[in-house]
Amino acid sequence: MAFPAKYPSLNETALTDEARSTLIRVIRVAFPHDSFPDGPYERTADTILKAAEESTWFRVALTQGLLTLAHLAGGDFRDLDEDAATSVLRRIESTEFFGFIRRTTVLNLYDDPEVWEAVGYEGSSVEKGGYVDRGFNDLDWLPEPRIETYEGEPIVEIASSVPLRPTHAAHGGSQSAASTESDTNTQPGSTNSTAGSLAHAEAQK
Amino acid sequence: MSQHGKPIEHSTKSVVIVGSGAGGGTLAYELTKQGIPVIVLEAGSYLTNDDYVNNEWEAFNQMAWLDPRTTSGSWRIARDFPNLPAWIVKAVGGTTTHWSGATPRFKAHEFAVRSTYGRLEGANLLDWPITLAELEPYYDKAEIAMGSTHVHGRKPLPANNNYKVFANGAERIGYKHYSTGPYATNAEEYDGRPASIQDGFNFQGDKNKSKWSTLVREIPRALETGLLDLRADSHVVQITHDADGRVDAVLYLDENGDLQRQEAALVCVAGNSIETPRLLLQSASPMFPDGLANSSGQVGRNYMRHTTGSVYAQFEQPVRMYRGETMAGVIADESRHDPDRGFAGGYYLETISLGPAFLASFGEPGTWGREFTKLIDGYVRTAGLWVVGEDLPQESNRVTLNSSVTDKNGLPVPNVHFDDHPNDVAMRNHGYQQAELLYDAVGSVSSHRTPPYPSTHNLGTARMSENAQDGVVDKNGRAHDVPNLFVSDGSQFTSSAAANPTLTIVALAIRQAEYIAQQLKTGGI
Repeated sequence: MAFPAKYPSLNETALTDEARSTLIRVIRVAFPHDSFPDGPYERTADTILKAAEESTWFRVALTQGLLTLAHLAGGDFRDLDEDAATSVLRRIESTEFFGFIRRTTVLNLYDDPEVWEAVGYEGSSVEKGGYVDRGFNDLDWLPEPRIETYEGEPIVEIASSVPLRPTHAAHGGSQSAASTESDTNTQPGSTNSTAGSLAHAEAQK
Repeated sequence: MSQHGKPIEHSTKSVVIVGSGAGGGTLAYELTKQGIPVIVLEAGSYLTNDDYVNNEWEAFNQMAWLDPRTTSGSWRIARDFPNLPAWIVKAVGGTTTHWSGATPRFKAHEFAVRSTYGRLEGANLLDWPITLAELEPYYDKAEIAMGSTHVHGRKPLPANNNYKVFANGAERIGYKHYSTGPYATNAEEYDGRPASIQDGFNFQGDKNKSKWSTLVREIPRALETGLLDLRADSHVVQITHDADGRVDAVLYLDENGDLQRQEAALVCVAGNSIETPRLLLQSASPMFPDGLANSSGQVGRNYMRHTTGSVYAQFEQPVRMYRGETMAGVIADESRHDPDRGFAGGYYLETISLGPAFLASFGEPGTWGREFTKLIDGYVRTAGLWVVGEDLPQESNRVTLNSSVTDKNGLPVPNVHFDDHPNDVAMRNHGYQQAELLYDAVGSVSSHRTPPYPSTHNLGTARMSENAQDGVVDKNGRAHDVPNLFVSDGSQFTSSAAANPTLTIVALAIRQAEYIAQQLKTGGI
């Protein structure tokens, strides 16, 4: 594993194969899916490594993070079982290193057709004519529900418990009939507001 | 090519519309239909239905408004997606090209929230200067234009898998007002567009043109009149005014990044509720030091995003929620105002589905480990719904210019500040709880509460008011301070109501077009 080199070769910091396989393990532990093959995890690691190549900040964070991981693991992180490896990651979850891996993984791991296949998602459908003849309504473990508008009693739009029910609450009617005073904006303050009256009193001084 | 339709000279004093979405696109058609030439300046490109892709991230990168923005406040978006406060579209057709399609109307009392809800601490409640009765004829026109199912003889969409779970759960917990709409996607051929093929992609643009958008209806029809000059890739940076305080031109960056000036007789701003106030604030001048049309100080304030949240529940049996129309399922029982639930206003429950890529990114941002991965492992057995309800206007929820961060053109980026009102929190929790009860009733084995997504409904930042000191525009969307300046999008909303906003934006735009045409005829502008 390469340490960040001293100036001027810092920009050439390279991550070794060992670092790559540690990164793959980090991603698998952080985002464990028993049904996923290795391919999506490897591609996600490569995406992260490529992003790190393009950003000095991510590169140094990633390199230093992978090194520190070995320290926390008391050896090779790859040798830890899932529980122990998860505990190590919990200790570093607020670091830039882990945040960078987490964000990039979420954006890329689940945007992978092999992952979609593993979870049963079918991806693009328009070229197959959508699902109109391919099971958009094939759920059969519940009864067929009504699709039309309910034809019974209409919604009671304002509960009967509401005081000073506006007279225009049905359809239309007079706007002004509802207002008993001109307090249309709460910021100037209604007369029953302590805060409003205080502010008003201040203003009058 | 960025210019479409019949070109109009830059020196011709024109009716200029900024934005081509639900508000701007509708207004352009309604005005050109009446013989009025119009220029539409659209910041995004002219993507067509053929350009769309059935892939969540690819489509997002193709369509979404990705110009940098910043966030502040206690909302979780500021932590999880600090540069993505809103998930809206930058393209011809605006956000109508990726919306789901639900078209409930506002209720009468939702136009009179201050009178109905009373004074709520911390909220900046105000009654709209219009009533439901005034808007009803325009709701009819909008529903007919958009082909809303369940109304005006349009047949309902069939039940998809996600809806079957949703509706059965609704029935079992005693809800009555559930159905597959109203929903502005064709269940059968209508208005020259085909029936839905239930491909399951809505937020990615509808390749099949079954879903209404201004891209498939209003824009092409406006172009056919020969009176529309549509300029895509044209980002407006300022509205200028003359010595009388009337707007006289707009300055915009063309597709090459060059600044252009278009003379204007009338300007209608419809850039969605973040860009609209941004543009008004960027148009500050010695005569309008706090921003154009901002004598009230309300420009950018009262930003609303609806009280939202999702619940994804897993079952023993397959659901395959991703097949079919995403939001063709609406429950209205909780849309009433009933303070006994612990909050003012109401909410809808609507079906929703994300693919694995978006569910991973938005399902529980920031988490990892087996708690997280089981959300994805059970994907095929998952059903989802969305809570969408009224959120309260607050003066401090606000779009401002961030003078320390600039975009690629050197312009200050908008900052979106948001804190939930306690009423919003109480409503969201009630929605989560009802959703869990609903799914429990049909045998869910687990359920997960997903926090609000980057805002898809952005409202209220140039609100309508009766009095000039309370808001930015009057009941026709005309600026109180500037007689030939209009706001034509959801920024006008005085309150958010519970309903998805697109239908109301379209209805207001149809109504505004009538007013503008009449004013132009009589010399009122």
